[in-house]
Amino acid sequence: MITVALVTGFALVLAGLYGALTNRNILRMIVSFTVADAGVNLVLVAVGAMPGRTAPILDAAVPVGDAARRIIDPLPQALVLTAIVIGLGVTALMLAYAYRLHATRGSLDISKFTELKW
Amino acid sequence: MVKHLVAFLLLAVLAAVFASLTLGYQPDAALNRTALYYAENTAKDLGAQNIVTAIVVTYRGLDTLGEVTVLFLTSAIVGLILSTHRATGEGRATGIPAAGELLRTGSRLLVPLILLAGVYVFVNGHLTPGGGFQGGAILASAALLMLLADPLHRFGHRLIAVVESLSGVAYVAIGLLGLAWAGGFLDNRFLPLGDFGTLFSAGAIPVIYTLIGLKVGAEFASMLASLSETEKS
Amino acid sequence: MVSPLHILAVGLGAAFFLGLLNHGARVLAYVVTVVALLAMTAIGGQWLWAFVVAGAAPVTIMTAGAPPPFAINLRMGLPEAVLVEIVTLVGLLSAVYMREALMRLGHRAMAVFLVVVMALSGLILTRDVFNLFVFFELIAIATGGLVLLSDDPRALGAGFKYLVVSQVVSMLMLIGIVFVYHASGSLNLDDMTGTPVAAAGGAAALAFFLLFVALVIELKPFPANGWALDVYQAAHPGFSAIFSAGSSTAALWALDKVIGIGGTPWLPIAAAVGLVTFVGSNLVALSQTDDRRLLGYSSVAQIGLVLTVIGLRDLLGDRYLMIGGGILIAHAVAKAGLFWISGLVASRELSAWAALRRDPFMIFAFATFVAMLAGLPPFPGFYAKWELVHALVADGRHAVVAAILVGALLEAGYLFRWFGRALKAPLPDETVQPPVGAVAVVALTALGGWAVAYGWGEASRYGNLLTVVPLMFALAFLVLEWLPAWIKNTVAILGLVAGFVVAYPHFDPMQMIFGAIILLGGAVIFIASYTFAHGRRVGFYPSAMLMYAGLAMLIVAKDTFSFFAAWEVLTVGSYFLILRGKESEPHALSYIVFSLGGAFAILAGFALAAQTTATFPVEGLKQVAATHAPWVFLLLAAGFMTKTAALGVHIWLPGAHAEAETDVSPMVSGVLLKAGLFGLFVLVMHLGRQSLFGVDLTHAMLWIGAGSALIGNLMAAFQEDAKRLLAYSSIGQMGYAVFGIALMNNLGWLMAMMFVINHYIYKSSLFLSVGGVAKRTGTREMYRMGGLITLMPLSFVAVLVSIIAMSGVPPLSGFGGRWIFYNAIMDSDARLPMAVIFLSGPIAFLYLFRLIHTIFLGQLKDEHRRVKEAPIWLIIPQMMYVAFLIGFAIFPGLALRRVDDFIGRFMPEHGLNWTGQTITSAYGYWNPVAIMIIVAVIFVVLFLWLVFLNHRAQMVKQFNIVFAAERPYRPETTHFAWNFFAPYKRAVGFLAEPWFERFWQAQMDTLHGTARFARRFYTGNGQVYAVQVIAFVVVVYLAALGGRP
Repeated sequence: MITVALVTGFALVLAGLYGALTNRNILRMIVSFTVADAGVNLVLVAVGAMPGRTAPILDAAVPVGDAARRIIDPLPQALVLTAIVIGLGVTALMLAYAYRLHATRGSLDISKFTELKW
Repeated sequence: MVKHLVAFLLLAVLAAVFASLTLGYQPDAALNRTALYYAENTAKDLGAQNIVTAIVVTYRGLDTLGEVTVLFLTSAIVGLILSTHRATGEGRATGIPAAGELLRTGSRLLVPLILLAGVYVFVNGHLTPGGGFQGGAILASAALLMLLADPLHRFGHRLIAVVESLSGVAYVAIGLLGLAWAGGFLDNRFLPLGDFGTLFSAGAIPVIYTLIGLKVGAEFASMLASLSETEKS
Repeated sequence: MVSPLHILAVGLGAAFFLGLLNHGARVLAYVVTVVALLAMTAIGGQWLWAFVVAGAAPVTIMTAGAPPPFAINLRMGLPEAVLVEIVTLVGLLSAVYMREALMRLGHRAMAVFLVVVMALSGLILTRDVFNLFVFFELIAIATGGLVLLSDDPRALGAGFKYLVVSQVVSMLMLIGIVFVYHASGSLNLDDMTGTPVAAAGGAAALAFFLLFVALVIELKPFPANGWALDVYQAAHPGFSAIFSAGSSTAALWALDKVIGIGGTPWLPIAAAVGLVTFVGSNLVALSQTDDRRLLGYSSVAQIGLVLTVIGLRDLLGDRYLMIGGGILIAHAVAKAGLFWISGLVASRELSAWAALRRDPFMIFAFATFVAMLAGLPPFPGFYAKWELVHALVADGRHAVVAAILVGALLEAGYLFRWFGRALKAPLPDETVQPPVGAVAVVALTALGGWAVAYGWGEASRYGNLLTVVPLMFALAFLVLEWLPAWIKNTVAILGLVAGFVVAYPHFDPMQMIFGAIILLGGAVIFIASYTFAHGRRVGFYPSAMLMYAGLAMLIVAKDTFSFFAAWEVLTVGSYFLILRGKESEPHALSYIVFSLGGAFAILAGFALAAQTTATFPVEGLKQVAATHAPWVFLLLAAGFMTKTAALGVHIWLPGAHAEAETDVSPMVSGVLLKAGLFGLFVLVMHLGRQSLFGVDLTHAMLWIGAGSALIGNLMAAFQEDAKRLLAYSSIGQMGYAVFGIALMNNLGWLMAMMFVINHYIYKSSLFLSVGGVAKRTGTREMYRMGGLITLMPLSFVAVLVSIIAMSGVPPLSGFGGRWIFYNAIMDSDARLPMAVIFLSGPIAFLYLFRLIHTIFLGQLKDEHRRVKEAPIWLIIPQMMYVAFLIGFAIFPGLALRRVDDFIGRFMPEHGLNWTGQTITSAYGYWNPVAIMIIVAVIFVVLFLWLVFLNHRAQMVKQFNIVFAAERPYRPETTHFAWNFFAPYKRAVGFLAEPWFERFWQAQMDTLHGTARFARRFYTGNGQVYAVQVIAFVVVVYLAALGGRP
């Protein structure tokens, strides 16, 4: 199960990167990056998972004293929350950029923005 | 074509890296010492039922403060990018037909419910799955609904800004209270821990999560508003 | 003490607070921003003070009341305090600098600005690897926003490219972090460093690789850094300053913290990436014409160098912080300052910086920053360069040293080219009225650079260069710039004389000769400077005194460090001095590049000799192990002979000396060249003969000396320009001196010493005379002169006496030189080079004859009928030289006898015997007084005879001739003095072909061609940049882990 999640996550990362590296349209690049981001997040969660254990919430199902044997590693879950939020922030920022680029230059083709080089 | 081939070959090597990571991956049989510490001490020390929340808000509170700042930055920059452009959108077409009766009434009915759900999610963050970010996102979805129902609707930027700022400043202030009155920056224990598993427990965690919820909601709403105002319809 | 956490809290709190303000309350928002930055700077400063002055111990700051690794903790130690102070200070100054842009965009921009400074501080302080990631992302997002502060419409594209790449980087970093966590069970850096995960091998090493490579990409490694260069180029210069000085600094520290997790196998990879970046970026920068992109390349290069230092930390030990820190601080101050200045310049090409000339203080600031970047004394980079090269050489990493020095030379090349352009390009029409705040920021930064230099010197184990008296005296002239030039001139003369009076009791005879030439001789040349002492003559006195300070420090240098520091001081001072000439920009550039190349050879030589010690007394050269000694000899000799303009590396001299100002030419010719000879003396005295691959190196020096004498003299004979003639003549004269030193016998050295004295006198005198003539006639070309003997009789006398002395005919001191010389040659068995040097003797007659003949004899040009004698201040020193030449001819023993004794300590056999007025060698004797009398008698007899013969001679009017031919296309071709030695040129002209000029030009063309080709790699397409980044990851992966799973 964990392996499946890892493989899926990595596959998403690679697919997303491939899309981002081969599509010249900025919006498609941004979408590709969100796919890759999702893959990264999946990998993060998968690394924290442990077979046969449950969520790290100490309610009636998991008594406090039993926690160490019953719950999965809570830290990657905390990390993934941060990662998701950051990914979201970057995506929003890129979208705003895309909007401005389109508005000022009339194009979304990244190969058109090469006035700075060398 | 060359571009595709190069990208493919490079990613193939990267895939090899990921493959060896996956093949070499052994799930832990027992919690590692960091996780074990959280499992054993969270309830005792911080009084939070949801360990992830305890980590997010307290143990790794500095990350979370940074996370909130990411959203803050994004909303500020998106505003900045779009505001310099908004002036040109003054003469926008108003050709969209007004929203129909059903849509307006329906959204009026739903918005308070959505807001309530959002508040529920973030005030219970220390007890159940959920928290400030999730709750804040739900709050913002109310704003999104309003915008979808009436694309020409204009939010009061001022209100959003004040909510966002005040919750942010209060968040930092609470962090400093932790430094002054408890064990360190963002320590939640300067408030009483209360009874384990109840709403008013886990010290400052619910307060912080409430502030985060408000701040995240306000930030999302402001981003949505900024983006929608660029709509030339 | 205020907890460092408050730096973060203040920054964030203020940023959040700004949202409360109305759009209209911009002034208030700005005040809040600046006050917050001030508070952050103050907190950082307070910790810096605690560590530096009070010697506090590093502290760990816990958050959330839980111990690490379970909660995030911060650490504040000396390095952190320094870096945080850099970041906050650059932030504060940039906020002041960008007031206008920030006010225009309002509180949101200010909030983003505050967050970036806060995040940079956080990145430096945190000890948690995931927290590191969060701060990195904050910086990336804030950068994406702040790029837009620019007025440049291209910034939008640049920002997007940056975001694309940071997306890729953040994915790699996240995957790396979570697997590193899985392997180690911890996110705390200190916790993980205890048991490096890479040691576990397998997946853990891969995980660390991803984290590591992501951090390396944050440092903009060459060539996967096009995205960053675009940001440097397009962003507001105020933000570029933060991006260069702040972001890179923090990211370097982050890498330094993380690399410990991986353990030592990763260090060489970091070092290699850094080295490639340093050399590659500096190479590509050569063909850059946009100032901000150039600064971008330079930033990337400097960061690469620090990365190399980090990669070498297992080798450097504790010193790596001092070395890396020195480079980093110099980089941060200088780069921030240069970016800030670029905002005060209207357009983006390098020559537009000429606008800075309107404000001399800006030129001072520019010079300060360039010197800091080039690692010149007294700035921290200098100490770092010394330490780094010594440590590397001690470990036998010669290739690394060579690469670093080549990169540094490239960088110095384009920086000084830029500086020269700024000083010499025509003033642009466009002007920007720089805001007062921006100018103040630049000024503060330049002064800050000097403060840093002082502080670094205090902390250095070599002593503080800024407290060396001669250097302080020279720098004092910077403060005295407002005084009229004649006062400064008087102060300079008094200072030099006083310096000699104070120092001479401690001089040994050799130091006495050099000291007298430098200090007293320098003072005499300054008398000529009264001619030009109108107004304030801004820039002249600090430069000249810097050169003299360097020279004075050189001759008394006790150890190799102070020797080398003095060498660089005199080099940079003389560069500024030479650059003052009207047409001297390309020549000054070639001078500084050759000189720095030579200096690097000297540095490498000292390092090779020092082995594991850092600095050693100069006499210690005696004890250098036999395995290294020939190489040490080779490197040092190459360095010193660059300064004496030996054949092959002589091409900088003619232009530099000829195009210099009238009173500067004698300084850089008569005085400065002696530094190289002094170095050679020190070298051969302590190191003796060395052979490499069976070749006796002193024998090679003999050949070089003889070749320089021949070619120098020959070239001199073919010059039309009188000052160029004198310049080439110096190459020849220095060749004689090098030859004498290389003879390795008592008389050879004595003769070289004689040349030291003589060359100073006659070359200074000739440059002043010719300079005076050029000033009066308005030309330096000899065929345009003629017949000036009656109008400028004193100049004529000075030239006559000087060339008699120089040509080595009796009765003047040149003859003594020759006499010793021939004796010395008899002592040696180097017959073949001896033949060459004999051959060059008559050639000297050719050019000397031409000099006096075409200038003073022959027909007077019509336009020169009203020419007056040279200004009195030029004549006075010439007359002093004439008197001295005659005096020295009669009593050479005054100076030479003691030197002879001194040399006798090294070379006991075959000295001279000084009895009364007679000097005896193994081959004959020389009585200067008798010679003087004999020559005088012959002269008087012949003169009387001539007067008797010519008493009936008839004077003919000069223009009593008829022109019959048509007007020639090039009038000078009909003049007898033009192409004076055409027959000789046909015969031996091939020797005077500019072979070496062509060689060096070909080198330069190759470099520039490579640069132009290599920079096409930066296509400007953001997607291609992303591909390059991933390719970089793949290459590092294959290189680092290729053989392993």
